Order: sequence, then C-alpha cells, then structure tokens
Amino acid sequence: MTRPLRIGLLRLSDSAPVMIAHNAGLFAHHGLETELVVSPSWANIADGLVWKTLDAAIMFAPLAMMTSLGRRGHTSSLKPLKTLSYGGNTVILRGNNPLTGLWPVGEEGREAFEKWRATIGRRPRLSVVHMYSTHFLILKRFLLSIGVHMEHDVEIQVMPPPDIINALIEGSVDGGCVGPPWGTEACLRNLAFLAGGSETVMPRHIEKQLVVPEVVYDNHHVCHALVSALDDAMLPLHAVENRQSIAHDLSASLENKGLDLPEEATLRALSGEDMAERTYYMRASGKKENVTWMLDDMLGLDWIDKEEYKILETKWNASLSVPRSTNLETFK
Amino acid sequence: MDKPALSSARAPINVLVADANPRRAKALSDTLRADPSLHVQSVPVGMSLIDAVHQYYPDVVLVDMARADRDALDSVRALSVPALERPIALFVDEDDVNLMETAFDTGVCSYNVLDAPPDDVKPLLRAAIALYARFQRTRAELNAAQQEIEERKIIDQAKKLFMKNEKTNEMQAYRWFRGRAMQTSQRIVTIAMQYLAAQQKSDSP
Repeated sequence: MTRPLRIGLLRLSDSAPVMIAHNAGLFAHHGLETELVVSPSWANIADGLVWKTLDAAIMFAPLAMMTSLGRRGHTSSLKPLKTLSYGGNTVILRGNNPLTGLWPVGEEGREAFEKWRATIGRRPRLSVVHMYSTHFLILKRFLLSIGVHMEHDVEIQVMPPPDIINALIEGSVDGGCVGPPWGTEACLRNLAFLAGGSETVMPRHIEKQLVVPEVVYDNHHVCHALVSALDDAMLPLHAVENRQSIAHDLSASLENKGLDLPEEATLRALSGEDMAERTYYMRASGKKENVTWMLDDMLGLDWIDKEEYKILETKWNASLSVPRSTNLETFK
Repeated sequence: MDKPALSSARAPINVLVADANPRRAKALSDTLRADPSLHVQSVPVGMSLIDAVHQYYPDVVLVDMARADRDALDSVRALSVPALERPIALFVDEDDVNLMETAFDTGVCSYNVLDAPPDDVKPLLRAAIALYARFQRTRAELNAAQQEIEERKIIDQAKKLFMKNEKTNEMQAYRWFRGRAMQTSQRIVTIAMQYLAAQQKSDSP
C-alpha cells in the first residue's frame, strides 16, 4: 500500500483498542503503517468505507450491516474483522431520577417514566447516535421493558455522541442512549441520570467491531496484522492498574494523540463504577458472536427482510472466524 | 468549473447550502446564484441541519461532511418521525463512481428529495466539489507559503550567528551554508537547523 491504512473512529472511550494499537506502535510492530481518522459522525464513517476514503473503521454491527446491504445508496460489501467491545451504552434522562438507581422493568418502571415525563412537560425527545445503531435497538428495548412505545410516546432524534452534552444544556433533548463516556459525563455534570443501559437490557451485547471493505478483507496479510495488533492492544485494557493511564491518554487533545475525552467519565466507563456502564473488551478472537437479537429486532423494524436476515447472519458468523496468524514472522 | 446549466423554463430548484465554513458557504452560494434557475439558501449559523430542512423545504442540500449534524439528515427516511413532507436521501450515482469518490474525498456530499432527477443534482454537486477543491488548494498554498517564511527565518538566524562566530559578512556566511548543503545533499534549511542546534548545545553549561 502506498499510503497508510486509514482507520476511522469517533471520539468514544471504546475506541481505546485502536488508539492503543496505533499509539503504542502495535500496528507498526505487525508491519502496518496506520493513520487514525477521527470523524465527526457515523455517517462519515459509513460513507468513508463505501467511497474508499477509509480502509477500516470501528463501527457497530447494524450500521455495517445496513451499509453492506446498500441502504446508503451504494452496495458495498463490508465485513466485520474483529469484535472489539461489548456493552457500555447508557440510557440517560434529563433532570432528577424519581427512583433511586436504575429503573426496574414493568409497572414500576412505567410509573417512574410517567413521573419523569410530567417534569419534562412535552413529548420526551430522546437521541440516538445513528439510526442504524445498537443504541437505537437498546433504547427501543429499554422503553418497551417499561411499557413505553418508541413510535408513539417519544420523539427520536439523531446526533453524534459528544453532542448530547450541549443538547442537554440547551434543552433540545431530554435524554437518549449514548456510548461511553458521554452518558456518564452527562451524569457527572448533573445534566441527567442513568436509568438503564446495555447491562439492564442486553448484557454484554456486541458493541464495536473493526469493519473493513471486502477488498481489505481479502488481503490476508493486512487482516492478520490488524487482528494481531488489536489482540495485543487488549492486554493492557484488561489490567486494572492501567485504567488510570489509559483514561489519561484518551483525555489528551487530538494533537497530543488523544480523543479529547472527559477523563473522569472515561475512567468510570473502563471500570463500570457509579454512573457508568462498563465496557467489556474482547479477550480472544474466533469466538462465535451472538447477533441474533439484533437481526431479530432489525427484522421486526422492517429494516431487513427474511432473506437479508439469512445473508447477514451467515456473513457475521463467517467473517469473525478469521483464524489468527500462528506465525507472525511470515507476515512481516 | 462546471456551471449548473439548467432549463429556465422549469420551476426553480431550491438549494440549501450547509457549510460550517462561512467563507466557503458564501462562495458556493454566490457561484450557484449565478444560475437563475436556482433558489439558494444557507443554513443560518446555530441552526441544526434538520431544522433548516424543515424550514426551507429544499430540493437539494449540499452538505459539508465536517458537519456533525449530517447524521440527523441521514436518518430522516428510516425514522419517518417526525415525518418530513418530502423525505430526502443521500445522493448516490451508481453509474458515476468517480464523481462520488471525488465528492467524498473532497469532503462534500448532497442530499435530495426522493423524486429529484440526477440531472438536476449532479451539476450542483460538481460545482460544490470544484469549489471545495479550490479551497483545499488555497489552504495548501497558504501552508506552503507559511513554511517558506519559517524556513527563511531559520536560515537568517543561522547566518547571523555564523557571521558573529566566524566574523564574516553575509555573502560568506550564505556560501558556507550553501556549500555544506551541496556537499551533504541536504537542504540549506536543514544545515541551518543543525548549525543552530549545535550552537545551542555548546552554549548550554
């Protein structure tokens, strides 16, 4: 490749594996020259993969699936190369929690919602980070678990994750489902409270994956190097004693190789402390992933039909079984 | 540059320009306004893209990809709540992959109402690409000019120091740096920087 491999990502704490692999020279160690493209929105990530301004990206499965089916106007086969993280999404709501702690399912949760809605004084406006996101699916399930219908009872807005802070300050949204550390940051700033999230709705669901276009997927040299470097990057993420320094690095400015994230909220997202949902990082490659619930929901929403369901199910299971290189030396 | 040439017999096309860079937004609007068959508006500062679309009912929206609120536009069709009367979608020309790649690479894309014919959209997208490319070039030229000024400063500084140390005039100092550069196949500015760094080292206790 004549130019560095360009990897797209957003300002989120679960971008950590790629940040570590790049900054600690792990990609380089495996023979890859990489450039990180911190993007303003998920649409840019999806279009970047379709129109070749990106060679790989961190993405959630629904967007990769829908893009792959040509729902962004141009059919472009994308494949998940590696799952990076599980869970970590927060459901946050403006103001004060009528209950203590997370909302229970059923009647009690519904009562809490009604009390909260009365303080909002309008049909609640909830945001998700993209239409085709796990956040949308999680939020829909969360609301349904307390008997609230997304289509009738709330208004859905779309905004990139870091924007929710200002939107809450300005009052243009009343909450939403957002990735780490932005939900926790909103709670720490007393803009919102945590009502639920990944852990209460669909514990340890697949969240971020490294997704590549088919042309990159077919390049075994590059894929093995990417997977190996990211496997190596997971090790520091699993050591408790590293959390502080990882949060510190991610909070550095973009010029200083960080993502300009709020440090305390990032630290909590790594550990799953108070007001945070813990992000679980991948331990070993090759594990069979459960995307069935997502596909079921997407089918229910009429995003896909039964035939597309089967295609995606096969693709998502097959792609992730890329064997890890056993002899790294051969790829250097 | 492609000029959006459109039949004037038809109703004007409403174009909404959504650019975070006010100078470029104005330049693009001015270019498009030269065509009487276009009715051009800009997203006011501080207004979200989705609100602007609700307010102006555009046929075509030209969007700066650096705008983070593009995702809201992206989801209009799938969400269908609150329904837009005339849903819009990302413009993609399957037959003109080159144009699309150039557009995304340049950082501009367009959305249009679903019934807008590609013949109406493409000239607008081309005009936007050309303008974005011009802005990119201007920025690159500006960067190059700034770099040259910086380099000249470094060479001047090194020359002055050399003149003081070696008690020479400016021409002799310059010849010395040029000679070293030729001998080592390096640029004069590199030699100047090395000279300054070496001096700094020997100055420090």
